Amino acid sequence: MTDDREATSDETLCRRIAARDDAAFDVLVARHQARAYRLAWSLLRNAEDARDVSQEAFIRVWQAAHRFRGDARFSTWFYRILVNACLDYKRRGRWWRRVIARDAEHQADDEPLIARQPAPGPDPGDDVIAAQTMERLWRAVHRLSPQQRAAVILYGQEHLSMAEIADVLGLAEPTVRVHLHRAVAALRKELAP
Amino acid sequence: MSAERRDDLTPEERDIIARAAAAAPPAPEPRWGDYRAELHARLEARRSIGARLGHWWARPAPIAVSVGLAAALVLVAVRPSEILHRADRRPDLTAVDETVLGDRIGLIEHYQIVERLDLLEDLDVIRQLDRVQLREG
Repeated sequence: MTDDREATSDETLCRRIAARDDAAFDVLVARHQARAYRLAWSLLRNAEDARDVSQEAFIRVWQAAHRFRGDARFSTWFYRILVNACLDYKRRGRWWRRVIARDAEHQADDEPLIARQPAPGPDPGDDVIAAQTMERLWRAVHRLSPQQRAAVILYGQEHLSMAEIADVLGLAEPTVRVHLHRAVAALRKELAP
Repeated sequence: MSAERRDDLTPEERDIIARAAAAAPPAPEPRWGDYRAELHARLEARRSIGARLGHWWARPAPIAVSVGLAAALVLVAVRPSEILHRADRRPDLTAVDETVLGDRIGLIEHYQIVERLDLLEDLDVIRQLDRVQLREG
């Protein structure tokens, strides 16, 4: 891969993909794979599903590259494809068996969450409480409706603006605000002492 | 994406969302080489399906099959009432009832006698009326 190629914008790469340039597709995948996988994982909460759906999103980019108009950023367009693929995946129902199984075994999930906390501070008890709060919050995120969850992840993790989230989810901006306000109301309960 | 966001969320609401997003445990990292190899394999599979469909359409036999199917669909579309009418033909129960009644028309003509005989049978004055042999002439 040359420096030139590295410097090529996503939008240019997408136009090249529309002309069936395999090398451009490889560059685009390498550039976005980690972010796409992480976002899919946050929404689906399963590594295998995240791998499957994020790959599917890249395939859709390959298939639909000629429809990318270039008046929006590639990243917004790609997020739209990816988030919709995740929501479709959830609607198809393959995910709920895993959620039930995971919730039934949630005791087993506690250990890695505590283990991933920073090195113990002066009071290890505080770390445990913080870890438990994070665990509760993360579970609460997954009890949100799919669109509320997507809005929270896109806002808090991907740092998208309201307008960008609205574009990605295909909703009006006020609707996104409502989703976020409702999500915050639900999450606030988890943080209450 | 956006470095600075303008929205109507309060600082407290932003903090809650930030904490919720930060609560996500780290995603288990796949081996990126394997990930890309798998993606390429899937993409190749889609391409070959697309190519095969292209070849399929180029053959005369499938075209003939498609034309036949299209003709059948047109027939169904143009003459639906007749086809539906045929499909809806079921045995007419009213007609069967009429046939049975037709056989018993003599009984209906002498309904008062039949009624009295039934009553006598019910009261066990006469028994086994159904087995009584009719004498011809």
